[in-house]
Amino acid sequence: MSEKLYGIIAKVMDISIDEINDNSSPETIPSWDSFNSYILLDELESEFKTEFTIDEVTETKNVSDIKKHLKAHGIDLND
Amino acid sequence: MPEEEKISYYLKKSKTIKNNFEKKIRISILSSFTLNGIEEIFQVKCDEKKVSCNTCLGAYNQYNQEILDPKSQLYQFQPNITFLILDTRSILEDLWYFPYSIDEKQRQNFVEKKFKEIENLITIFLKNSNSKLIISNFFIPTNSNYGIFETKSNFGLQKMINTLNNNLQDYIHNLDSVYLFDMNGFISKHGENNIFDSKQFLFGDIKISLDFIPHLVNDLMGYVIATLGISKRCIVLDLDNTLWGGIIGEDEFDGIKLGSDPSGKAFVEFQKYLLGLHNRGILLAINSKNNFDDAIKVIEEHPDMILKKEHFASIKINWNDKVSNIKEISDELNFGLENFVFFDDDPLNREFMKSSLPQVLTVDLPADPSKYVRTIQEMNEFNLLKITDEDKQRGVMYSQQRDRKTLEKSSNNLEDFLKNMDLKVTIKKADNFTIPRISQLILKTNQFNLTTKRYSLEDIQKMSQNDNMLIGCAQVEDKFGDNGITAAFIVEKNGTKEWILDTFLLSCRVMGRQIEKSILGYIIKIAKQNNVDKISANFIPTKKNQPIKNFLPDCGFKKEKDFWSISLNDSFMAPNFIKIEEK
Repeated sequence: MSEKLYGIIAKVMDISIDEINDNSSPETIPSWDSFNSYILLDELESEFKTEFTIDEVTETKNVSDIKKHLKAHGIDLND
Repeated sequence: MPEEEKISYYLKKSKTIKNNFEKKIRISILSSFTLNGIEEIFQVKCDEKKVSCNTCLGAYNQYNQEILDPKSQLYQFQPNITFLILDTRSILEDLWYFPYSIDEKQRQNFVEKKFKEIENLITIFLKNSNSKLIISNFFIPTNSNYGIFETKSNFGLQKMINTLNNNLQDYIHNLDSVYLFDMNGFISKHGENNIFDSKQFLFGDIKISLDFIPHLVNDLMGYVIATLGISKRCIVLDLDNTLWGGIIGEDEFDGIKLGSDPSGKAFVEFQKYLLGLHNRGILLAINSKNNFDDAIKVIEEHPDMILKKEHFASIKINWNDKVSNIKEISDELNFGLENFVFFDDDPLNREFMKSSLPQVLTVDLPADPSKYVRTIQEMNEFNLLKITDEDKQRGVMYSQQRDRKTLEKSSNNLEDFLKNMDLKVTIKKADNFTIPRISQLILKTNQFNLTTKRYSLEDIQKMSQNDNMLIGCAQVEDKFGDNGITAAFIVEKNGTKEWILDTFLLSCRVMGRQIEKSILGYIIKIAKQNNVDKISANFIPTKKNQPIKNFLPDCGFKKEKDFWSISLNDSFMAPNFIKIEEK
């Protein structure tokens, strides 16, 4: 399932899926600007059919944070 | 809600656009909130319509500065079309939260003040730019501190916004290049709770959530399509499972679904919507594989059939393939395939049409007929900047055209046919009544068009003030009825030495009747009265204007270098079977 998450990030940031790992963040991916982070949030919520709270969004600093919140929403990425 | 792509699709797709189409548009967007991504969506949606698009998005909430400063990025960009998108929150400021912190009179003054501010912006914009201006109206909030008492309060929050919207609508009514986009309608259509996403608002001041910006652009594209004059003119319809449910050849007259039960009513609803479009000038035609007698019987005799024979400009019910049929309809109605929309429930027919004639817009009808109306309502391809009397009469005119064709077939030769037509041409000057139609003809006419120069309404208004320009149009009547204003010309007068035909065109509806010679005769007459030596013209060939190729030599013009000229000492014979009048 990480594949699905990475796929969404790759699509939104317009980069190759190989460039993404758990430490990926706005600091490591140049196209991850604030506007793309809103798009990412929107697409994650649609794709995983869930809604993050505003605190979860504020706390999210990198991919591993996203995984953590998805897990808290009962979405197991199995890895 | 029809399908739309996510915004990320547009951001990605926009990077692959080549922007090398013949038709071009420059779009500028000003807004009071974050509308990032809107440029890329415009670029992709224009590309889909084969239009090259350059965009310019004003800096965040800088619309005042952009409009007030004559040297701003906005004016330097020289847009053809400018969208000014404001939101109710920004305009109300604190009153959005506390509308009743001031009294009724103060609320009225506030609305008056805000209206004046916008009025001032519009005036300054018009002074500095030739661009069309599309300004959004304001969303009327449904939440109120007053709760159920809101609608009983004096000049309350909702009344404030309503008044502002009405004042704006009245103000722009007579401004030709300014249009009001119904943002309130857009938000109602999709729902306030969907459009407004509180997280996106709090993080990025996004007031139209990202999923709905593509829908917004879809609606705004209506203005782009109308400005470019690439609107669709004719809807070609299949019959079985498109205008009625079932198959007439199998289910027979009493077995098809039309009216009575819910699924039959879906087709009645669809037909009613189509009739509404017909009444405002969109032509309808039939393209169906059927036994003619079976199908025409339904059209003529079925009690729940809304569309009758007289509503169709062309009827092709036969066993030929649909591509050949639509080509014939195009020939018969005399305009190009790019003006056509094709509706057919059968995906196979649609695929065949799309691959054979990509210039025809083939609509992907949903499998469920109850969704047909929504599908056509969401189309932005039928928009026009002005709906003229000619438009409203068009459907009737085309059914008269069918009668003309019958006479043409029964006449032995063309001259006899024309003599029997009782043709009458009335020349009219460019004025407030005729300029919208002249502009429409200039933007749309492709075939009998000498130079294919495109001028906007504003261009023509300016030219008509210039004494050096002779601008006119012609209304064409015959014994079958009135064709309306179907010809236009612009003559540049250079003293008495030489007048130049800058623009000379005829709607395809009246081609082949020597109307053009009659109009040229009129121009020559006026030129002679002004002691002009000669009239010159330039023929600019395009892919589509072959029909006018021989016009100049046929009328006695001689080629001198790149120009064609006719000396006014030579005699010119206008056709004697056409009565010409001047108004």
